[in-house]
Amino acid sequence: MTSQLFAYKRETGQWGLRNHVLILPLHSALASSARAIADASNGAVAISHDWSGEVDNDLPRILFTLTGYAANPNNYAVVFLSIGTPNEKQIIAGAQSLGLTRFTTLSLPEIGSMEKLQEKAISVANEYMKGAVAEKRIAAPWSAIVLGLECGGSDALSGITANPALGVASDRLVELGATSVLGETTEILGAEHLLAARAIDPEVGKKIVAMVARYEASINYEGIDIRGAQPSRGNIEGGLSTLEEKSLGAAKKAGNAPFTGVLEFGEKPVVPGLYFMDTPGHDIEQLAGFGAGHINVVVFTSGRGTPTGSAIMPTIKVSTNTPMFESIPDLIDLDAGTIADGVETLAQVGDRIFDEILEVANGKETKAELGGHHEFALSRMYNTVV
Amino acid sequence: MRKVLILHPSDNIAVCLIDLVAGDVIEQDGFRISVLNNIPRGHKIASRDIAKSEGIIKYGERMGHAVTSIKLGEHVHVHNILGDRLSTEAS
Repeated sequence: MTSQLFAYKRETGQWGLRNHVLILPLHSALASSARAIADASNGAVAISHDWSGEVDNDLPRILFTLTGYAANPNNYAVVFLSIGTPNEKQIIAGAQSLGLTRFTTLSLPEIGSMEKLQEKAISVANEYMKGAVAEKRIAAPWSAIVLGLECGGSDALSGITANPALGVASDRLVELGATSVLGETTEILGAEHLLAARAIDPEVGKKIVAMVARYEASINYEGIDIRGAQPSRGNIEGGLSTLEEKSLGAAKKAGNAPFTGVLEFGEKPVVPGLYFMDTPGHDIEQLAGFGAGHINVVVFTSGRGTPTGSAIMPTIKVSTNTPMFESIPDLIDLDAGTIADGVETLAQVGDRIFDEILEVANGKETKAELGGHHEFALSRMYNTVV
Repeated sequence: MRKVLILHPSDNIAVCLIDLVAGDVIEQDGFRISVLNNIPRGHKIASRDIAKSEGIIKYGERMGHAVTSIKLGEHVHVHNILGDRLSTEAS
């Protein structure tokens, strides 16, 4: 197969691996309409969320997430659905400053009817879709790939099969000049000293340790015994006994490359390399943070299986064990369980994941894309106060 | 085919690659373990005797500690080990 990457060049210099037209509701009351508009259009996608414009401690985090998500380079264009609050205008202006050039804002109060809003949105979306479909991919450098590393529903084979195999693929990509981002602060707790030891300089190492300490302090502040949730009941059934065990296995997704830097939730990496992003362990919230951070392709390893996908980022699912792969073949793209069975080596599966990332980057649809799995969830730190 | 996997030379546990049944004997890679409990695939089996409070080592790294003494061949899981971090256990 070819080892050349082809992608869509954006004016910011970033690259899109998809050319999505995203219907983005700026208020939860428009979420169902956004889905209906996407379903009725010729290929647009939508997300829904539960933010109703509330102004509280989480406002900056929510605005940052939606702004970054709108400007993700996998979006060819965005149709914003608005009810006209100042915070909504801030999201649109922010996305523009991050490089979003093609967008239309449709305001419910201005249009005056939900039916007319939907009709108008479908026609705008279809117009954008024509342009999106007509645009040709061009040869792109490896730096065009910004890979997100995720795991969910870990089992005891995660740290032996799928995660280290993904680490092999991630290392190859980073070596070639791409970017790779490890998330899930919950799931490096107990392994952070190993990641910090791989930082490109002591400053970055300190930041990795500090991010985990900040998380640990917030958990202690709330008086939670996190061991009730981490490892989760499913993890425990799968054979994981402690949070550290889960973390040692989860960190293997990031291979052995040096860490270039750390990213706050939803922050985008600027220079290529391997990064750690402070995200929750919640798979869908993490995906939202990855989208906001301009990650354009995700590999998601799972021991227990998951339908998770994203409206804008192709998400490649890798099973840690063969029985799970065989039980839900319509959800999982690749099986790494062959490593435990001695059928394939870690390097062989790592190469298969690498090849799959390239093919998917070049347009091959993932199982989650084919199934239309478009999950999205906002991450909050505080109680909602209205 | 191997029945268990020892991931690092300093580990005191092995990962079961198949469902093990009490009474099974594992003979591979120059070691021999008599299995003391039924242990599901993916779970851990003690590859050495482990004293109470001793660290549990997997991938060559500490992943918690024993809350009771654990015999070679015993199932190692939440009933006999705990993580070290974020612990609310009484000391």
